Amino acid sequence: MIIKEMPVMTFTQVMAGFLNKPLNSIRMKSNISSKARIISVVCAVALGVSLLFPLWRIDLTAPQYPEGLVLKIYPHKIGGNVEVVNGLNHYIGMRTLHTEDFIEFTILPYLIAIFALFGLLSALVKRRWFFYTWVFLFASFGVVAMIDFYRWEYDYGHNLDPNAAIVVPGMAYQPPLIGFKQLLNFGAYSFPDVGGYIFLSVGLILVITAVLEWKRAAKVSSAAILGLPLLLLLQSCNTSAEPIAFGKDQCHYCKMIISDRSFGAELITDKGKIYKFDDTHCILSFLKSGDLQQPQIAAVFLVDYAQKEKLIPAETAFLIRGDAIKGPMAGTIAAFETEASMQSFQQQWKAQQVSWNEVVSQ
Amino acid sequence: MKLFQTTLLLVVITAAIQMTGCKPKGATGAVTGSATKAYVAPGKYDEFYNFVSGGFSGQMSVYGLPSGRLFRVIPVFSVDPEKGWGYSEETKPMLMTSNGFVPWDDLHHISFSQTNGEIDGRWSFGNANNTPRVARIDNKTFRTAEILELPNSAGNHSSPFITENSEYLVAGTRFSVPVGDNQDVPIASYKQNFKGTISFISIGKEGDLDIAFQLLLPGVNFDLSRAGKGPSHGWFFFSCYNSEQANTLLEVNASQRDKDFILAVNWKKAEEYLKAGKGVKQQVRYAHNKWDEKTHTAKHEIRTEVTVLDPAILKDICYFIPCPKSPHGCDTDPTGEYIVGSGKLAAVIPVFSFTKMQKAIADKKYDGEFGGIPVINYEAALHGEVQKPGLGPLHTEFDANGNAYTSFFVSSEIVKWNVKSLKVLDRVPTYYSIGHLSVPGGDTRKPWGKYVVAYNKITKDRYLPTGPELTQSAQIYDISGDKMELILDFPTIGEPHYAGSMPASLIKDKSLKIFKIEENQHPYVAKGEKEAKVVREGKKVHVYMTSIRSHFAPDNIEGVKVGDEVYFHVTNLEQDWDVPHGFAVKGALNAELLIMPGETSTLKWVPEKVGVYPIYCTDFCSALHQEMQGYVRVSPAGSNVPLTFHVGKQGAAAADSTSK
Repeated sequence: MIIKEMPVMTFTQVMAGFLNKPLNSIRMKSNISSKARIISVVCAVALGVSLLFPLWRIDLTAPQYPEGLVLKIYPHKIGGNVEVVNGLNHYIGMRTLHTEDFIEFTILPYLIAIFALFGLLSALVKRRWFFYTWVFLFASFGVVAMIDFYRWEYDYGHNLDPNAAIVVPGMAYQPPLIGFKQLLNFGAYSFPDVGGYIFLSVGLILVITAVLEWKRAAKVSSAAILGLPLLLLLQSCNTSAEPIAFGKDQCHYCKMIISDRSFGAELITDKGKIYKFDDTHCILSFLKSGDLQQPQIAAVFLVDYAQKEKLIPAETAFLIRGDAIKGPMAGTIAAFETEASMQSFQQQWKAQQVSWNEVVSQ
Repeated sequence: MKLFQTTLLLVVITAAIQMTGCKPKGATGAVTGSATKAYVAPGKYDEFYNFVSGGFSGQMSVYGLPSGRLFRVIPVFSVDPEKGWGYSEETKPMLMTSNGFVPWDDLHHISFSQTNGEIDGRWSFGNANNTPRVARIDNKTFRTAEILELPNSAGNHSSPFITENSEYLVAGTRFSVPVGDNQDVPIASYKQNFKGTISFISIGKEGDLDIAFQLLLPGVNFDLSRAGKGPSHGWFFFSCYNSEQANTLLEVNASQRDKDFILAVNWKKAEEYLKAGKGVKQQVRYAHNKWDEKTHTAKHEIRTEVTVLDPAILKDICYFIPCPKSPHGCDTDPTGEYIVGSGKLAAVIPVFSFTKMQKAIADKKYDGEFGGIPVINYEAALHGEVQKPGLGPLHTEFDANGNAYTSFFVSSEIVKWNVKSLKVLDRVPTYYSIGHLSVPGGDTRKPWGKYVVAYNKITKDRYLPTGPELTQSAQIYDISGDKMELILDFPTIGEPHYAGSMPASLIKDKSLKIFKIEENQHPYVAKGEKEAKVVREGKKVHVYMTSIRSHFAPDNIEGVKVGDEVYFHVTNLEQDWDVPHGFAVKGALNAELLIMPGETSTLKWVPEKVGVYPIYCTDFCSALHQEMQGYVRVSPAGSNVPLTFHVGKQGAAAADSTSK
């Protein structure tokens, strides 16, 4: 199947179909699917379009600038109220911003064009390695670009004229990479603009597509595929494991202070609520109580017996059970991050290896 | 796979929320329900008179508080064609200087005459920032009564601040300049040749201004000042910047030192030296212009001498106190114990103690000298610092309860803090970039409190736009409670800098209603229509004209020739309040006259073309105001048309022809 023969579909339809249907025709293992090819084309076009829009914007507000000032970073120039901002920055001795001072603005449009071209080519070439290379290079480019942007902000925010009218000791004027920061009387908001959102979307879609392609080829379980976006989501919602404060935090189940640093567990709900436990015995009892339904549980972490205090995902932890294991609440299970560390203790205690799923379902 | 879809959807939604949720929020700041506090019902009087400097308008405007209603613009240093100020023959001398007639200036600060540290309501004072002068306004007439020029000064910014019994007005020069006989020196020789001066201007019983003495000081920029009061009476405090002594790119070069100075002047000590004959008389030229209410005419004179005291030689007059980063405001609190310095670029507000300062002087706790004047140790004179008050502190006023209100230009806010504890109590935003602020009586020993008025530099989106140039504005905040509360915005004349307010009762009942015609000693007065006449003196034609509702006398004049200088001396015969008459001549290269009841004003007119010229009353005086008009016939230069004039009857009266 080549692109021309595809019925005209909207992007979402393509995505929906792509996600729903099992991939039934794996004819050429070294080739990408036709859906991936369409996505490549769409992403390539989107990248081309992004050339017209600013990638990033820094909004500045101050009491006397109720209308705000904005710096827009296009692929080829700095736009917005550059002159006004330069005029204000001279008080604090910041160098003036000029498009021609940045080699990036010369290179960036070409780079983006090349990535767009790469995308079109990967649809034509169809080769999996070609597609993967594209995605990898593009993702790397994104990371490098952000590092470069940070370096640039740091440089301008820190290298100030020592003879400036206003010198506040210890004060730097580096805008935030992303988010908000107060700089004297100015509030600085740094966020992607249209081009930047196109970039992010393209990056995200390509990475997901690449993973799906990889899964199609390798037949990996869908759970693993979900790992990546889920991880992203977890981080964006700030629901990753919170360290247990030993000697301070209370076990949610037995209400005792968590103190043995070799044992303990943590459960995070889909709403980001965190429950802490001092022993596997307690978390298992809690799970069995039925207070929480399985879908409400976003993640479970266990303390690594060998590394102490370190929380590791329960799903991937290596568990052993034996009477020689003495948890604080008479639990008989210990968790390990690595198989090697588990094995040494397993022999010592003559314990039996178990999996988290087994333990939970028992 | 459903889970995957959900995940993707969540990612997209999260991104969308980020896009919309993290944008800066637009400005808000509308008054919420306190507007009634600023409401003064039609026909009711305001509680305070608010005298506001006009900045580059050169004038002083008078508003009511708390309504913000504009009552009058008093012409001071700039000509005002509307009132004939600087156009009538009587007012022209008021704007004379040693440089000749100067039609404009920049009025920044206001002060009021005081008795025992309280506003007494007699006079208001203003400074001219460009061509250094001070002006006295008579609060009975709301007119400029006297203007005194300042020699050895340039940019009279640190002025016209006053002592608590109106002994002196001060005038500190913003620009230091070469002083003495040789003034043609390289600009780069600032450090060697440039000097700053501070003039102490004595105020007589009738308000007469006279330079008592000048202090010759190192070349710096004097910025603002306040007199001591109560225990510190006898002292005066001046902020100064550019202790770097830069003469170019001051924005950078005068911002290098961590501390500039507040100059403390013991003027009682200076008086002793003056009495002992330690002053040096210097030959200079400066104008002194005074209004005479009897003749309704200003007198201009040039004075040629000033007495200078050199504090580097005459010890114990002056002391410098270090003050962080380019101090601007220098304000003494109502008790007279605390002096607040506001470094424009400083991160703290230092508050100095007069007692500690005196002790530091007694103990000689000095950190060297600057220009021959001892520099008192900063900590030795310091009461304490207000920490993290805001950005860009400028000026401080006080209420009667021991609180200070400081304006912050950069962070655009007023911050209320306690003078003793130095704790910040409250802050409110201003719209936008406040300069001065003013509490009624807030610079005296007796503040009335109640309001603080912010005078802002930028208005941006606060009013309907009027092209590139927008109005400046004032904002009134109610300070009677713990929290300051914005109750009104109002636009102002020119650019307001400092302003002052006093209870209406101090002025209201003393306000003059008319000038008594029988007391009019104007040399060209006509105290009735019978005295109306036209007199030729060579090329000069003097018209003794009267105006009363609703005619001029005479209103028909013939025999004026091209090239004559015609002087219309118009006397308003009315003796009733609020009946001014105006006077204007077609094609006159001049303004109008606006003549108050009982007053005589003169319009000079040099007709250049033959014709009949209409004259008329410009101030709507009566039902038949439109009938209040007349004609002047202008004949060719060599014409023999006789000089005649009349009103009401046909046939001309013969003119006096004294032809000298």
